[in-house]
Amino acid sequence: MGFSIALTPFNLLMATVGVIVGTLIGALPGVGPVSGVALLLPLTFGMDPTSGIIMLAALYAGSMYGGTITSVLINTPGESASVVTCIDGYQMALQGRAGPALGVATIGSFIAGTFGVMMLMLMSPALARWALSFGPPETFALMLLGLTTVTGLTGENALKGYISMLLGLMLSMVGFDIISGDARYAFGIPEMMDGVDFLPVAIGLFGLGEVLVGAEGATDMRILKGRYGLRDVMLSANDWVRSRWAIARGTVLGFFIGVLPGAGPTIATFLAYSLEKKVSRHPEEFGKGAIEGVAGPESANNAASAGAMVPMLTLGIPGSATTAIMLGGLMMWGLRPGPLLFEKNPEFVWGLIASQYIANVMLLVLNIAFIPMFVRALRLPYNILMPLIIIFCITGAYSQKNSVWDVGQMLVFGVLGYAMKKLGYSPAALTLALVLGPLAERALRQSLIISDAGLGIFFLRPIAAVLTVAALAAAAVPAVRALWAAVSGARRPPVPAPED
Amino acid sequence: MRHADRIAGAALLAFAIGFSAAALRYYPYWGPGGPGSGFLPFWLGVAMAALALMLFVGALRSREPGAPWLPAGAGLKRLAVVLGATVAFVALLNVVGMILGTVLFLVALLKFLEGYGWLTTLGVAAATAGVNYFVFTSWLRVPFPVSLLGF
Repeated sequence: MGFSIALTPFNLLMATVGVIVGTLIGALPGVGPVSGVALLLPLTFGMDPTSGIIMLAALYAGSMYGGTITSVLINTPGESASVVTCIDGYQMALQGRAGPALGVATIGSFIAGTFGVMMLMLMSPALARWALSFGPPETFALMLLGLTTVTGLTGENALKGYISMLLGLMLSMVGFDIISGDARYAFGIPEMMDGVDFLPVAIGLFGLGEVLVGAEGATDMRILKGRYGLRDVMLSANDWVRSRWAIARGTVLGFFIGVLPGAGPTIATFLAYSLEKKVSRHPEEFGKGAIEGVAGPESANNAASAGAMVPMLTLGIPGSATTAIMLGGLMMWGLRPGPLLFEKNPEFVWGLIASQYIANVMLLVLNIAFIPMFVRALRLPYNILMPLIIIFCITGAYSQKNSVWDVGQMLVFGVLGYAMKKLGYSPAALTLALVLGPLAERALRQSLIISDAGLGIFFLRPIAAVLTVAALAAAAVPAVRALWAAVSGARRPPVPAPED
Repeated sequence: MRHADRIAGAALLAFAIGFSAAALRYYPYWGPGGPGSGFLPFWLGVAMAALALMLFVGALRSREPGAPWLPAGAGLKRLAVVLGATVAFVALLNVVGMILGTVLFLVALLKFLEGYGWLTTLGVAAATAGVNYFVFTSWLRVPFPVSLLGF
């Protein structure tokens, strides 16, 4: 049934637009999948939600393919899920093997992406059926788990991650309270009574904020010359033998990491790289152009981007920052994410899943045959791209409600996003909290209303108890570490913040 | 960073206290049969106050030299110009309109900040304004603000 929806001319067109724009966004340094989805979200308002999600999901998959190009040819990751690809991919390019590096990444991505969608198709309905039995306490515990895992895993500093998350929750309190009807923290301003809108926040934090960071310095990129025509990206028999198991391992690992709430493609690539290094018979080649070091992580990030959709579609909690933005989109289109989505909007879910198969085939063709074209697009100087993105941020923020207030809000969050990025806070945690805040509050209050034991209800019901304990444990690990850092003044070495 | 953390910690602490106080003052903490609209905001403020205090105290104790987080010199100037132009664009949106605003914004940044020639600048500006108009006005039917001149 899904394919009949995905194959309508308009939806095919949207998938095509998604994969092309996604590959470009992935390839261009400074714009990643999160900013891409946030920036393109306004375009979907005129569409049917199914077409909208098809475009955004195709874009997400495309960005995972595109990020590789920049990593291999410029040694600059196009997005954070391709950071590890730089290590061996660039070395391969220096040795004149840019073609096989890009080829193995594309083939691995295709296998992983297709496997990921297949698993998404098989796992989601069962998970959704199970989640249907959830009452308010389970829902709240699940959201708590989503919030603590995302916050614990993103950003270099857990304390600042939790501050970002709380800020997001506090912002989500603004506006009419769903139960009592109080206009909280609105200060009598009509625009504030509707709450802090998700779209201007996402565009500001991830679009404008990102551009402002890039605006500081004129970036200069040198693209490595090489041959990456159709014949050059074909793998030799030896390359294939070396990379096939790396692709398989990366695929399976990536998918399950992606399903975990909070652990998106970036974390999957880091784990896949260290896994390959560990199982390899010649670990000394890693860092010097080992093809497994490209095959494993590049497969993992595609499988993870599909895996991240599982909790978003079935449970209504996102598996990565990008799916958090998509979740916000779902709610703006008037859909209620969660287990009921499969029953109430089957055309939406199955159309999306079918279109992901198609998107992966398109990406395979696109990335084997048209790499030279994307490389040419990379020559667009960043200082021309930058003002164009700003204009896109402004028009995008304006277009949802035709409101200059929203544009102002976007601007404020753009500056906040810049500061958060520079100071090590987590815009992703803030965004997720802003999306989940109202849902979590409702579930919390409903739980406390039906509870005879106060907060004890989260520990007395078995599923809720497991989820709550898991959430608290996820919070405790970095909290203990943060406490230690605060007391001793010691600092951990910085880890790059995942942006996916 | 240390300095910035101290300022952020203090500001967040003040914000959190204000947030919780407002929750208690204006919204019911407990309603009929369950928590009211002030319940969660109050506790969020308390939690934020605790974390902000940790950030502040940690920054006070830190011996790490305060690394600058704002760029200096040319970088700061570029940032200021880009941000300034963006703020001006948004502030004047209702006066100059979206199309004219787009062109002026791109001229300001491409010609005067980046030093591109007029041909490149006006070419990019015209193409952007055109695409913008086509996508948002013709296709999505978003009524953009127009200038006093009517476009």
